[in-house]
Amino acid sequence: MTITPVNLSSTVADDEPPVSLWRDAWHRLLRNKLAVAGLAVVVLLAFVAVFGPWLTPYDFLTQDLNARNQAPSLAHLFGTDDLGRDVFSRVVYGTRTAFVVAIVVTTIAVVIGVTLGAMAGFFGGLFDRTVMWFTDMTMSVPNLLLVVVINASLKAPITAWMEARYQATLNPFYRETIWVDFLLVFGSMALISWPPYARLVRAQVLSIRGRPYVTAARALGLTNRLILMRYIVPNAIGPLIVSVSAGLGTAMVLESAFSFLGVGVNPPTPSWGNMISDGLRVWQHYPHLLAAPAAVLGLATVAFSFLGDGLNDALNPRGSK
Amino acid sequence: MTAPADNKPLLDVRGLTIEIDTRRGPAIIIDGIDLTVGKGETVGVVGESGCGKSLTMLSLVRLLPNKIKVKGGSAEFAGRDLLKMSKSELRQVRGGKIGFVFQDPMTSLNPVMRIGDQLCEPLIYHSGLNKADARIRAIELLRLVGIPGPEQRIEAYPHELSGGMRQRVMIAIGLACDPELLIADEPTTALDVTIQAQIVDLVKDLRKKLNMSVVWITHDLALIAGLVDRVAVLYAGTVVEDAPVGELFARPTHPYTRGLLASIPKLSDERASRLSSIGGTPPEPGRRPKGCPFAPRCALAEGVCHERVPVLEPVAGSGGHRVACFVAQRQMKEAA
Amino acid sequence: MLRYIATRLLLWIPSVLLVMLAVYAMAYYGAGDPIKLIFLRAPGDVAYNPEKIEAIRDAAGLNRPFLVQFGSYILNLLQGNFGNSLTSGRSVWAMVSAAAPVSFKLGLCAVVLTAIVAVPLGMIAAMNQNTKIDYTILGSALFLWAIPAYVAGPLLMVALIFVLPGGKVPYGWGGIFDLRILLPLLVLSFQPIALIVRQTRAAVIEVLSEDFVRTARAKGVPEMVVAFRHILRPVLTPVVTQLGLIMITIVNGAIFVELVFGLPGLGRLTVSALTNSDYPVILAITLIGSFLVMLSNLLVDVLYPLLDPRANDTMRSR
Repeated sequence: MTITPVNLSSTVADDEPPVSLWRDAWHRLLRNKLAVAGLAVVVLLAFVAVFGPWLTPYDFLTQDLNARNQAPSLAHLFGTDDLGRDVFSRVVYGTRTAFVVAIVVTTIAVVIGVTLGAMAGFFGGLFDRTVMWFTDMTMSVPNLLLVVVINASLKAPITAWMEARYQATLNPFYRETIWVDFLLVFGSMALISWPPYARLVRAQVLSIRGRPYVTAARALGLTNRLILMRYIVPNAIGPLIVSVSAGLGTAMVLESAFSFLGVGVNPPTPSWGNMISDGLRVWQHYPHLLAAPAAVLGLATVAFSFLGDGLNDALNPRGSK
Repeated sequence: MTAPADNKPLLDVRGLTIEIDTRRGPAIIIDGIDLTVGKGETVGVVGESGCGKSLTMLSLVRLLPNKIKVKGGSAEFAGRDLLKMSKSELRQVRGGKIGFVFQDPMTSLNPVMRIGDQLCEPLIYHSGLNKADARIRAIELLRLVGIPGPEQRIEAYPHELSGGMRQRVMIAIGLACDPELLIADEPTTALDVTIQAQIVDLVKDLRKKLNMSVVWITHDLALIAGLVDRVAVLYAGTVVEDAPVGELFARPTHPYTRGLLASIPKLSDERASRLSSIGGTPPEPGRRPKGCPFAPRCALAEGVCHERVPVLEPVAGSGGHRVACFVAQRQMKEAA
Repeated sequence: MLRYIATRLLLWIPSVLLVMLAVYAMAYYGAGDPIKLIFLRAPGDVAYNPEKIEAIRDAAGLNRPFLVQFGSYILNLLQGNFGNSLTSGRSVWAMVSAAAPVSFKLGLCAVVLTAIVAVPLGMIAAMNQNTKIDYTILGSALFLWAIPAYVAGPLLMVALIFVLPGGKVPYGWGGIFDLRILLPLLVLSFQPIALIVRQTRAAVIEVLSEDFVRTARAKGVPEMVVAFRHILRPVLTPVVTQLGLIMITIVNGAIFVELVFGLPGLGRLTVSALTNSDYPVILAITLIGSFLVMLSNLLVDVLYPLLDPRANDTMRSR
């Protein structure tokens, strides 16, 4: 005569076992073959970037004028360039350049973007409007123009200061132009990279801030910082991971693009971008000088792209397809 | 209306079973439906939203969404099984012999096409008319469904018409090629109450004029009481009761039908200020109970109801009244 | 309609002036002294002479106050005078009008190629959603999107060395009916194609779930007609609105493609102007770029009501 408990219990039993969000996402990622391949390549490249100097038989700067412009061989896997430098070693070192730039730039951009975005979303008002105005401005100016202008306007004063320090201290460190290059690349790229993170985090904060449980937490007297750490950060972390993985790839592409155009990392420091640019001058005679860095850079960007797409599908299951 | 020599129904659905692909694997949502529609007959298909009314009718002409598939059964239409037809044969039936009217005319009409072009399409692809003739016929059809100034309205876009007018256009599209069967899928749900009655009256009028069969899908029993000849009550993908409309209102037999009727407000019944409702919700796909699908919500359910699935059996002493309920069937036997 | 277009053009003028003022300010305050740069790059026998530099700066009017310089630049601009390049001394107008046709022709071909290739591919992917065909198209699009032009270009060139007899890979520019356009056109179109394939696929999937597509099928309309009349038409609206984004992708790509394939277009001019701080040239290119973006946005706004009759009412009331 009454509802039997059989059906109720069967309803409960049919429920899926509680799987954690992260494990679920990880399984979804592993099912995506392209993403797994991307992950494998990224891990391999990261390994090469870290242990590169121990993997290569030559130094990336050592010139061997008796072995110039050699085609690929067992002694020189990717051949040698016009100064007799081993291209394989230079490509390996280029991996290091790419990863260092990508990681440092993304870290700076994430720190700036997340801080400003979270504060903008949390406090609102004039601060919010100012931050959003800055993001809009930065995103609407062409990247290349901005980076060139930053480079052009900062390079001269920094070089002058370094020269002055050298004259004063005679410390050879101040004549290492590599540091100036890196500083400028880091700085200008971070400056154009933070707005997307700020927007993302701000949107997350705004959408979560209004939810009843946050209002309830506030009514219970939780401090802003506690609310931020306990409710907002965990919710924003998924989209942020997707965004960061895409950002690493983008930063790598940006670095190579700027180095290719001659406004990024300059020779003799090897970067895939400036190696391609160098290779273009002689590609009809020595195609390997062009093919080697281009192929590795292509592999890296595609790997990051597949991984990012897979992460997006895995962490935002509702948003995809 | 049925010729005495030809007793075969126009549409004869038997054992229709439909599955949906869920994350947990396939789940049955339509479980062996039987449904017949005679020539010139109007049948109401009634049930709560989500019980599978629309899917049943869409499956006949294979317009189901991707994840939903017909698993078994047959659907004979004018002597041929719709479910076994080739794609090109089926295309001839769609919009030709079977016309459709859908629920929401706003979304069911193409927003970037003039209504005249949308109305001409079935005429061109089925009746083989050229553009000029199709246009003349389209104006006739618009006049038939009661659209004032059809010569001008034919150039309008859907967003330029009112909701009622749009639904009249939908009906004109459904009627375009003189179908033998018109399937109206909750055609009044998206409309104002006064417009709803107009649409019901329009179809009532037209089906006599055009001598066609109509299947009218709805969750509103009261609305179609004066329109249909027969009612099939659906619950969770099965027909639980099937009866001539007068018989159903006079002697509702399945507990679910009774619940539906009790939830209709009546003006005469002044003292009963509270409407009754049926507690609980229908089972989700993939979580169908073992026995009668209504048993978990049924106040009369007995042991057997949770064990076995009841089948439609004739109700004694009435023509064409069938019910699928162990309790009702037992009570009838006891009474006899 | 005409009034609307005229208003848009008038509104564009102050915004482009603002952008040019910003670029001019960067030139004035930020960048290295262009004259000094020329001297530093000159061969060793030209002595580095501060007085001489100062004299050249005076002659070029570079020592006047900022706003005066900007004002006189704009006045010259209004008379059709873009000034002279700081590095080559040639008229900027001559340089730009020599380079622009190359880029415009290439870009236009890329837009056409993108439309022809990407829209059908996106539709095929959507119609076969979650099948092998869909995954192949989507994966290829992702691949093309990820590969920068300065990677795809060189790799294709190197690959062709081994395929073509005598290793003679086409290089340079000979107009749009010259075989040499194929490689740069292909590379330039990769990213826009990837973008539009994904956009079209998403739009088609959305339209496929629309009730009116079901209505069309319920009417017995042949599948091909359903695809073209009922699905493609509504899909074009969101895809056409992406025209601005395609323009940006193509303009960005053109810089690299022109460098890689040695095409004498605006992209190459831009890079050399940027690296040489040749501000008269940069300003002229900024003006052209801003005009192009404004034009493509305007084109989208004008096309929109033609594609979607619902937008007509709002258009008229503007």
